Amino acid sequence: MDAKLEQDIRAEFEPQIRACAHPQELVVHLLRAIQREHGWVPDEGVELAARLLGLQPIQVEEVATFYDKIYRRPVGRRVIHVCDSICCWSRGEQEIRAHLEARLGIRLGETTPDGVFTLLPTCCLGACGRAPAMQVGFRLYGELTPDRVDRILDEERRAAGQGDPP
Amino acid sequence: MPTLTIDEREVSVPAGASVLEAAEALGITVPHFCYHKALGAVGACRLCAVEIQAGPQHGLRMACLVEARDGMVVSTTAPAATGMRRAVIEYLMLNHPHDCPVCDEGGECQLQDMTVAGGHGVRRYRGKKRTFPNQELGPFVEQEMNRCIQCYRCVRTYRDYAGGHDFGVLGVRQRVAYGRFRPGRLESPYSGNLVDVCPTGVFTDKTVRFRARVWDMQCAPSVCPHCSLGCATWPWARYRELLRVSGREGPRTNGFFLCDRGRFGSGHANHPDRPRTPRLDGRELGWPEALEALRERLTKLTWAHGPGAVGLLTSGRASLESARALGLLGQALGGAPVVCEPHPRRDRAVRALVAELGQLGRDQEDVRQSDCLLLAGLDPEGEAPMLALAARQAVRRGARAAVWDPRPDRLPFPARRIARLPEALLEALARPDGRAPDGLEAAERESYAETRAALQAAERPVLLGGADLLGPRGVRLLLAAARALSRPGRACGLSLALPGPDSFGGALLCPDGPDADELLAGIEAGRVRALVCLEADPLSEHPDPARVAAALGRLELLVVLDHLPTASAARAHAVLPTTAAAEMDGAFVNHAGRLQGFARVYSAGLPIRVTGQGAHPPREFRPDTPGELPQPGWAVLAALAGEPVELGELRAELARSEPRLAGLAGLVAGGPGVQLALEPSARERPDTPAEPGVAEGELALLSVEALFGSEPLSARAAPVAGVASEDALALCPADAARLGLGEGEPARLRSALGEAVLPVRLAPGLAPGFALVQRRFGGPLEGFAPGGGPIACRIEKGGAR
Repeated sequence: MDAKLEQDIRAEFEPQIRACAHPQELVVHLLRAIQREHGWVPDEGVELAARLLGLQPIQVEEVATFYDKIYRRPVGRRVIHVCDSICCWSRGEQEIRAHLEARLGIRLGETTPDGVFTLLPTCCLGACGRAPAMQVGFRLYGELTPDRVDRILDEERRAAGQGDPP
Repeated sequence: MPTLTIDEREVSVPAGASVLEAAEALGITVPHFCYHKALGAVGACRLCAVEIQAGPQHGLRMACLVEARDGMVVSTTAPAATGMRRAVIEYLMLNHPHDCPVCDEGGECQLQDMTVAGGHGVRRYRGKKRTFPNQELGPFVEQEMNRCIQCYRCVRTYRDYAGGHDFGVLGVRQRVAYGRFRPGRLESPYSGNLVDVCPTGVFTDKTVRFRARVWDMQCAPSVCPHCSLGCATWPWARYRELLRVSGREGPRTNGFFLCDRGRFGSGHANHPDRPRTPRLDGRELGWPEALEALRERLTKLTWAHGPGAVGLLTSGRASLESARALGLLGQALGGAPVVCEPHPRRDRAVRALVAELGQLGRDQEDVRQSDCLLLAGLDPEGEAPMLALAARQAVRRGARAAVWDPRPDRLPFPARRIARLPEALLEALARPDGRAPDGLEAAERESYAETRAALQAAERPVLLGGADLLGPRGVRLLLAAARALSRPGRACGLSLALPGPDSFGGALLCPDGPDADELLAGIEAGRVRALVCLEADPLSEHPDPARVAAALGRLELLVVLDHLPTASAARAHAVLPTTAAAEMDGAFVNHAGRLQGFARVYSAGLPIRVTGQGAHPPREFRPDTPGELPQPGWAVLAALAGEPVELGELRAELARSEPRLAGLAGLVAGGPGVQLALEPSARERPDTPAEPGVAEGELALLSVEALFGSEPLSARAAPVAGVASEDALALCPADAARLGLGEGEPARLRSALGEAVLPVRLAPGLAPGFALVQRRFGGPLEGFAPGGGPIACRIEKGGAR
């Protein structure tokens, strides 16, 4: 994490923190801002958030490790969260996951060599009615089939190549 | 008091008790993990299922979460309850490694017990177990995260109960783990409690890793000797080596927990240089010869020069019975008086407390239950670590806390602070009109007035203090303030940290003796020709070590009874080895006037680890045990007086001669002890003169105790030696800037305690005008005996370290 990022985050959040009766509320916002700028949240990011909010690093880390969409390790430019909870499982999640792994050449928890995709499991995206589902970056995709997955991957890879935000 | 039926037996319990506690009252243990008496219930482990068959709730419930109600009918053995428990224990065991044979918890593991109790024997799960990397947590606590069953006891203890801030719970679902943000030593002074509260082997005592199984060790109820609070402990020994200490339930004192000094400081009993054989003029002797020779010399000196020719010095480390036996030796020698503490100001402070305390003494439990606390001149982390934990519990329940102290605030709870010496404030508090002292700033005046009003309005106020900073005058002012804040039917209590575990008892036995300065004057004048030191080390504990060294050099006979290799023992003509607290039966009177007994855990002897040098012990036949000669201090002294006694006889004599100690007769080790029936002394209260102030241009030096390394017992314990803080001179940033000193730069400190060159540490919390050092054995600050209060010092830049 460079000094510029720290300055930007500080400038963005200091007014909010001053206006907030319980700055602890802003933990997730801060972590997401760091992640937006840096791609993931390094240890220094946790410590920066703690410093800004007047907390201990462990208190920030507790929140950071609770949410599976805060990344505490480097990830690709697009993180795929494929749902493995019961509705998706009952509607072919295993097939979709196997297809994703085969197409990307990686297993759960890994990142493609070109740095575009990271594949992670997640427990429920709130899209049970459209199972099986996955989320890529901030976009939710339901009623997945292997063909649809291929189209989504192509589209996301293209967007990532253009530098579009996830 | 609701009355309910559990397993067809009726029981009445206090309102608010849970079904689990009600069952416990009947002797029925409902299996559980997350519930802990001191931590309460959270319902995290789901193990304590019972069936409620009649009452406001019905069906399967968590016994720890359901309040016991009148007319409830509960079954702990219904098939639904036992089935649920069996299922839960099977889930909890899914990921648990089968490493019991190499786990230090094995044999004292609640998970083992509960697995058996829950009826789970055969593993059905065939999947992969989740695993974690472990964290390095410093020299005291070993982590093995895979064994975790997510009961949250550790984080509830470390953070909620003890106020630690570097330990937490990470992850979610199956990945829940407990630890620090980065690997490193757990910073809390109460970190060792993780070992006690963890129901399985995630947190174990690193200092005794792979050393012994619980059934291989000897153990007995004991009382912690590392400060004056008298916390309840279980010391554990194996093969004549004191291995570890764990917390024992002390409802009036520590509750369940211990500080890290008390837990990890026990290694002094295994110190390789500890005196183990009587020694006279450089020769090792057996007991009969040594005692005979010494008795003859002491008697001759008394005959030739009168009873005043022998000085007797004890300290707060000696047990009550040993202190009494020293008094009896004095009587046998024709009336030689006893000096209670090697530090005269500490001595006078303790005697002032004992003379006037009456029924105002308050134990840790009273502090926990208090609704308003004032900490005046107390640094609990150094003087009485568990007192801070007790005060924290009061604050967690809503008590107000105020601190009057110039030292940086290291308390595990928020408090209103006036960063000044407490004397003038206490004097004002003790006055009927309570008007704030002159010289306060507006905010301080307001804070003072608020604290005074809160203390007056409170139902259970307690004043806490430390004898080391307050000194005799401060102690009397604290007592006067407590009396001024008391009214009929509602007393304001007092809890004063004293130097040693039996400082109170020692002063109770000799309220009027001379102090160490009078003793030294006697030696210097040639009146005192022999000195007997009972577990006292004047060379390290008196504020003027050079004067002590010169005086000891004049003595014809210096006899030291001790189990520590002290500086004074090294200079003695005769060293008589005594037993450590874990090696004897005895009693201490704690800081609040509670008499508590402790039992012998093991017999003193050279550890087999030493005699066998790491291998099998030597295969030689001998009728004795190597290193078995140390005897309890009282037994040595009684023999020296020519009147050997049994402990029971000595106690009976003590109970007869000192009615306040009548409780000794029925004292049981491991019991709650006896609160002494103390009456405030009827004598006129002496007007203690104010201590000399500090001149312009000088700083007031405070030499205080640190958590580790200052207190004579734990300072000689191997596990603690590595964690004592660096020697440093703390200054507030403004003073440091004025002196041209920056963080880490060397400064030369000159004071009546001695000279030292130390690195400067900037301490923003320290009041301006003060300099702070922590005494540490084995470093340049060894001679800076704590207990002297603020003294003048000069600080200048530089000097080679």
